[in-house]
Amino acid sequence: MAYSDKVVDHFNNPRNMGSFKKDEEGVGTGMVGAPECGDVMKLQIKVQNDTIVDAKFKTFGCGSAIASSSLATEWLKGKTIEEAQKIKNTDIVQELNLPPVKIHCSVLAEDAIKAALADYQKKADGALVDAK
Amino acid sequence: MDHQHTHGSSPRELQMARSMCWHCQSEVSGEYFCDRCVKVQPVSKELDYFTCLGFPRRLTIDQRQLEAKFYELSRAFHPDFYQNKSAAEQTISLGNSALLNTAYRTLRDPIERAEYLLDLEAGSVKQIRNSPPADLFEEILELQDTLNEYRAAGRTSETESTLRAKLQSERNMLEQRQRDMEVALQHLFVQWDALQDRGEATSQARAERNRILKEMRENLSNRTYVKNIVSDLVSTVG
Repeated sequence: MAYSDKVVDHFNNPRNMGSFKKDEEGVGTGMVGAPECGDVMKLQIKVQNDTIVDAKFKTFGCGSAIASSSLATEWLKGKTIEEAQKIKNTDIVQELNLPPVKIHCSVLAEDAIKAALADYQKKADGALVDAK
Repeated sequence: MDHQHTHGSSPRELQMARSMCWHCQSEVSGEYFCDRCVKVQPVSKELDYFTCLGFPRRLTIDQRQLEAKFYELSRAFHPDFYQNKSAAEQTISLGNSALLNTAYRTLRDPIERAEYLLDLEAGSVKQIRNSPPADLFEEILELQDTLNEYRAAGRTSETESTLRAKLQSERNMLEQRQRDMEVALQHLFVQWDALQDRGEATSQARAERNRILKEMRENLSNRTYVKNIVSDLVSTVG
């Protein structure tokens, strides 16, 4: 099975690789894993005024998992929280031309986005309570 | 005459025992062959692999017993022995052989056996998706960074040898953890079997059952994560 050109491109030149400090203000962290294949994905967003101004990822896994999370961070940047919620794994599958056996990589990326958004929301709600 | 077991015999087993012979329509009391007309009977695809091979749903399995049963049934169902039989019997022998092979391959390996039991007992893996082991994940991602650093470092440089030493000690620690996890898994196997043998239907027993399944799920998941990073370490620093 050959990887699509887009997967190879993301794999060779991953966008936004790295991490933010977890406790930094406005940062949401999503940490997910796929027990079936052992892939691990960490995806972080930095939010200002309801908009994702930056995103970073670190992925331990196959090329498709790296490409999926790399693409996800690209898409996240500039989106509002609400828009980001709408990113679906099927969008990633389509963009990267993932074969059926690699669809779970895109699912993992969607899970990571959801987890990061939830973590940000939790922190934001907590800050709101503190402020009151 | 219907002897009701308190445990051990699932409704499926009884169902199989009561089904009718496809050929002579007599009630099949034999497991794999009709007692009256001796025709081979299709092993239902609904049957779990344990029942299929005549083993109780336990995690500790005597490998020799399992192998003996597999060979016995392989001979009984082998398509070669059905070449001169009817088309129906040939189809059954083929289907049974295929099912038998899958069942044996699954139960032979302790990890696959445990994964399979989890599927049976807790539905799909996702239903008991545990919270991800964040510490382990952080550790793995950090190690991956160090691995990349090591790969980028020039050969024979000082950084290279420092990183190599670090990665090798990480590898040793992770391999120790793998052994610990192996022991923990064995322990869970024993606990599961003991619980099944007791066959209690109390809420306490149910809670115990769920705890064992959850810990087993965690153990098997973490095992995969650790295995991947260890094989990366081994292939990079040896």
